[in-house]
Amino acid sequence: MITGGLDLGAGVIKGVLLEDGRRILATASAPSRGIPVQTAHQVLDALGETANIAPDDIDYLCTTGFGRYSIPERNLQVSDFTSSARGAIFLFPKTRMVVDVGTQASRTMSISETGKVLKFKMNEKCAAGAGRFVERCSKYLQVPLEEMGPKALASERPKLISSVCAVLAETEIINNVAEGVPLSDILMGVFLSLAQRAHSLMRYVGIQPEVTLVGGLVRNVGMVKALHDTVGMDLNVAPDAYYAAALGSAVLGHSRLRKLATAPQGARG
Amino acid sequence: MSAVVAGVDIGSTTAKCVVLGEDSRILGKSLSVVGVDIVKDAERALEAALADAHLSRSEVSFITGTGYGRYKVYFGQLVVTEISCHARGANFLFPGTRLVVDIGGQDTKAIRIDEKGEVVDFAMNDKCAAGTGRFLDVCANALGYDVGEIGPLSLQARRAVKVTSTCTVFAESEVTSYVSRGKDPKDILAGLHASIANRTLSLMQRVGVEPEITFTGGVSQNEGMVHALHRRLGVPVNVSPLSQYLGALGAALHGRERLSGGAA
Repeated sequence: MITGGLDLGAGVIKGVLLEDGRRILATASAPSRGIPVQTAHQVLDALGETANIAPDDIDYLCTTGFGRYSIPERNLQVSDFTSSARGAIFLFPKTRMVVDVGTQASRTMSISETGKVLKFKMNEKCAAGAGRFVERCSKYLQVPLEEMGPKALASERPKLISSVCAVLAETEIINNVAEGVPLSDILMGVFLSLAQRAHSLMRYVGIQPEVTLVGGLVRNVGMVKALHDTVGMDLNVAPDAYYAAALGSAVLGHSRLRKLATAPQGARG
Repeated sequence: MSAVVAGVDIGSTTAKCVVLGEDSRILGKSLSVVGVDIVKDAERALEAALADAHLSRSEVSFITGTGYGRYKVYFGQLVVTEISCHARGANFLFPGTRLVVDIGGQDTKAIRIDEKGEVVDFAMNDKCAAGTGRFLDVCANALGYDVGEIGPLSLQARRAVKVTSTCTVFAESEVTSYVSRGKDPKDILAGLHASIANRTLSLMQRVGVEPEITFTGGVSQNEGMVHALHRRLGVPVNVSPLSQYLGALGAALHGRERLSGGAA
């Protein structure tokens, strides 16, 4: 039984193929530019290629994220909170708190041992706490996004940012560059400022171990270190946690499919 | 001793200077962009206004600094907050003013004043670029316009779009997505101006909306914004070509009072 999970995020579309609700067959992602449906199909094609299966072999497709309603062939759609929680539990069964700093929004939630969302807090109003801030810094500091994290790790005296606004911070950062502050210190300052915002969302919900990081932030070593230093506790990080929401929706798709299969014929929807 | 006084207003984006004669007539003024060296920018602002007034430095008896960079006006004898200065300047130009709305390059203020131009209450946003001149700058840029062009263009809108993002960064993406959906830039601009007017109104409501309302700061020179505020408030706002200089003018007036020994 193969289930697919697609996470249509604001910045990136991610996909996972799951066998029998247990084994990850393939993961894939693509930046969500232009028409999301087209990008989603590219992701599905890439998944099929890696797992060596035809699109028809996917028994059930579950979508999540911002653009979850845009895929006509989906069998089910779930909220990104539900799917990230499930994905986190799949990877780290003792997860009780999930932290996601996305392109457009950051979320923190506490979850039960079965992956039910208990309490959550989200910031989607302000770019200063979201990945978009990092993207902008990458642009005006002319450091490619994927190099920002590794470069920040060299920081000895992080340059903290006093502005709470992504636009006003830009001026502050440019002034820091002009004053000759080392790039690594500026970059770590950016990550610490995001980490502080994520930390306050975490405190609002109530911090409880284990904390699992999901989404784009797990690919950024600078961001992970900043969050670790700010929160002062161990955080679960795994490469597949990048796909947590897609993974979680594949898991949820699998349990739905199983329920349908075992239900009496008349009750099948 | 001549009683020529000067006020220097160092904002986040521009420096303004006003030179005031004995009869409180404006003898000269200057407006320049603020760079990295604020101390020098303040000097230059004063020199430019003196040149405009055909006066030399020795003919000025008192200089007052105000604005974000007021502590860098080293040559001044007095420092006053821009809130008091805008209050005084607005009262001078429009004596009926009870509420001053100052939209600057990087912050927005609503200042309630009494009939003497004294501050009664104020509210301000200096934490976030939303609703400030910076917001307009960023959005003008995203549409490929100069910030000076967007006010008049917004007035030609036929159906303003609704801008839902508060954050400048997200509004920028929203603008781009409206463009890609084929919306008329004029309609987008009208939507952006309406969105700032909404934010400004909520700031004004924190201190109490009471006419007459005088609009000051750099953004007051944007006629699209004057129109959007008028529409949102339902009453016209006072605005003059001197609106951008009201901080500097108010500073000069404060200096004059100090010089004549106490409050007027």
